Amino acid sequence: MEDKRSELKKIIMDTRTLPTLPNVINKLNALSDNDKASVQEMARIVSSDQVLSARILRLANSPSYGFYRVSTISNAMILLGVNVVKSLALSSSIFAIMEKNSVGLWEHSLGVGVAANLLARKLGLPECEEIATAALLHDIGKVIVSLKCSEAAKEIQDLVDERHLYTMDAEHEVIGTDHAEIGGWLSKSWFLPDKLSEPIAFHHDVDKSQNHRIKTSVVHIADVLIKASGFGNSGDRYVPVMQQIAWDTLKLNEQIMTELVTEIEDKLVEVRNFSLEMMSE
Amino acid sequence: MQKIPLMLAKAGMVLARDVFRGDSPVGMPICGKDTVLTDSLITRLDQMDVQTVYVDGHPVWEEGERTFDELLQSLDMRFEKSRQEPLNSMLYDIYKAYLAKSMGA
Repeated sequence: MEDKRSELKKIIMDTRTLPTLPNVINKLNALSDNDKASVQEMARIVSSDQVLSARILRLANSPSYGFYRVSTISNAMILLGVNVVKSLALSSSIFAIMEKNSVGLWEHSLGVGVAANLLARKLGLPECEEIATAALLHDIGKVIVSLKCSEAAKEIQDLVDERHLYTMDAEHEVIGTDHAEIGGWLSKSWFLPDKLSEPIAFHHDVDKSQNHRIKTSVVHIADVLIKASGFGNSGDRYVPVMQQIAWDTLKLNEQIMTELVTEIEDKLVEVRNFSLEMMSE
Repeated sequence: MQKIPLMLAKAGMVLARDVFRGDSPVGMPICGKDTVLTDSLITRLDQMDVQTVYVDGHPVWEEGERTFDELLQSLDMRFEKSRQEPLNSMLYDIYKAYLAKSMGA
């Protein structure tokens, strides 16, 4: 089994065929780590991608921010903040990869993104945007498995259907690893920061998250909630066990949970319409 | 809460969200949430080009839509493996109560 795992790791990490992030994101990452970089420079890079520019302007002009008539990318970047723009760039390119692959999984990820964002805001956590991005990406490992080893992916799904296993257990049986670990490898190869790669790699095992346990807990709880809600299709038939450690880390209680479920479901009504629109486009 | 076309709105239904002019949330709200719809109000909304409204409960049944019992059944199925865990059992109860409320059951 160990052979299979390392063999798979080799296949998955084969950079020639790995889905790559658009150049824009790598450049943005490099610039934002550099203290001397100016917003104007970053705006120039963003402007080279017209889809991304349009999304950023749309977000900056959306009523939820309350600014009106933002027409330049550099103004939008100042208003929204560099981190929001980076998350937006990252998530819109991940959508492009996921959307083609599986609408059900894409919807599930979108739902978990929404749930994580609501939970993070409700708890007043810092870096809500990063948490939502990590939540959007949490199942990226599943996309890679189905892209890179479509036979194994089918075998896993058959196991899930026939023996009523959790996807995680079926993955361990077939490929000797699981989508969370694969997502972790992938985020390393994309040089994503720890605050994204940890929640991706440990969203089924919060205990192992050392540096970003709060973010990992939010993503874990959001994943459980969306599976309970039945929104989208993660490939799993059953709601996973909600981990006590995540519950304790976030100091949750029944009342917060009840309010959160209503908020999430209200928001999902919109998301449902949004994903229908996206599909018809 | 359910999103329905204004055509299917009936007097007595209760708005679950503010209604905005031309369905766009940017403009001015023209009718607040918790308002009880009347025939004349629906006509006015129609004249203002409102096409959809969010209403409380689940008053309109569309073809192929699942009933409360069916939804409950699939909720039971999803929780089949984890309901004995205390946290999941609590979550199950929350979702069940939510379904009952949103479907008006």
